[in-house]
Amino acid sequence: MKLIITDIEHFNIPVEGDYKVIRPQGNIHHCIGCFGCWVKTPGKCVIHDGYEGTGIDMGKCTELILISQCCYGSVSPFVKTVQDRAISYIHPDFVLRKGEMHHKRRYKNIITISAYFYGTHITEREKETARNIIDANADNYDGLVKNVCFYNTIKELENMIL
Amino acid sequence: MRIALINGSPKVSNSASGVLLTDLKSFLITSSKTEIKEINLHNTVVSKEALEDLKNTDVWIFACPLYVDGIPAHLLSCLVQLEETDWQDRQVQIYGVVNCGFYEGIQAEFALNILQNWCTKTGFTWGGGIGVGGGGALQQMPTMKNGHGPKAPVEKALGTMTDKIIQRETQKNNYVSIAFPRFLYKMAAQMGWRQEIKANGGKTKELGNQLE
Repeated sequence: MKLIITDIEHFNIPVEGDYKVIRPQGNIHHCIGCFGCWVKTPGKCVIHDGYEGTGIDMGKCTELILISQCCYGSVSPFVKTVQDRAISYIHPDFVLRKGEMHHKRRYKNIITISAYFYGTHITEREKETARNIIDANADNYDGLVKNVCFYNTIKELENMIL
Repeated sequence: MRIALINGSPKVSNSASGVLLTDLKSFLITSSKTEIKEINLHNTVVSKEALEDLKNTDVWIFACPLYVDGIPAHLLSCLVQLEETDWQDRQVQIYGVVNCGFYEGIQAEFALNILQNWCTKTGFTWGGGIGVGGGGALQQMPTMKNGHGPKAPVEKALGTMTDKIIQRETQKNNYVSIAFPRFLYKMAAQMGWRQEIKANGGKTKELGNQLE
């Protein structure tokens, strides 16, 4: 299954195969740093606003596709909120990976990440930061990076098939 | 010099960011005549009061936790709002202190890069930052005198940054970890998770639940 997290409300990019799209629908609450998704309801966020199950969705996906405005080299606030709320995808315990501390896996699936950033005036430094963050995400999910691309407008993205 | 200490943790109390800002404040107060405003950005919107305080300060110091290799989403939302605010060509110097639950402070590098990139967009001056590893233990660590104790490397980095802030100079990002062995930090954290799930009425094996 492809899991698509995007800040595009009216998402109409064609997708091949099984997929799920998480996009802005109603209000999303930001992560409050309570770790309830690890120590109260392990695997699921404790905030009930329709976005509490993203960690579970990530456990079922083979490809995680982020489609987002580029904000200073980060994904946009909406996409980041979904990511922050989905740390239950990983286990709270630590492991050493590539000589650094990371979290242990909760699920067995290997996620391949693709990131499609859009926005006018994305600087080279922002692009470098974005690539570094997606690499770091892959390390933390114990997954892989497929590709990281940049576009000027959402319109340009509509010409591809995910 | 008017300095804003900005707590960018989503936690209203008991945050590592709060501990770091308290330590930094104690350095700034003893170092020179400074007027300090403490500003909380715990939510997605910057309040009118916070905006007013920011308009009256020359140096902003953000402290926040590392969330998924970046800055927390609510703070990112605040940064977008601050970029869209008319600052009337004010010259503001920005510093950042990002703490991570991982042991290695270097893991906060890209979050500091985000703050630096934001400075480019807003026209503010990036003054550099600190990436603090072992943030999960800061709450429990006492401050000891004469550069001793597990928090000593963090305090040293904050002291060095204080000198730069007072001079309004730029520093290279500095990455530090607590002076506490990594394997013990890992063990302590994992014991903590087990105690917490039990306190919540759960069992330790449920920490690894795989939900369908």
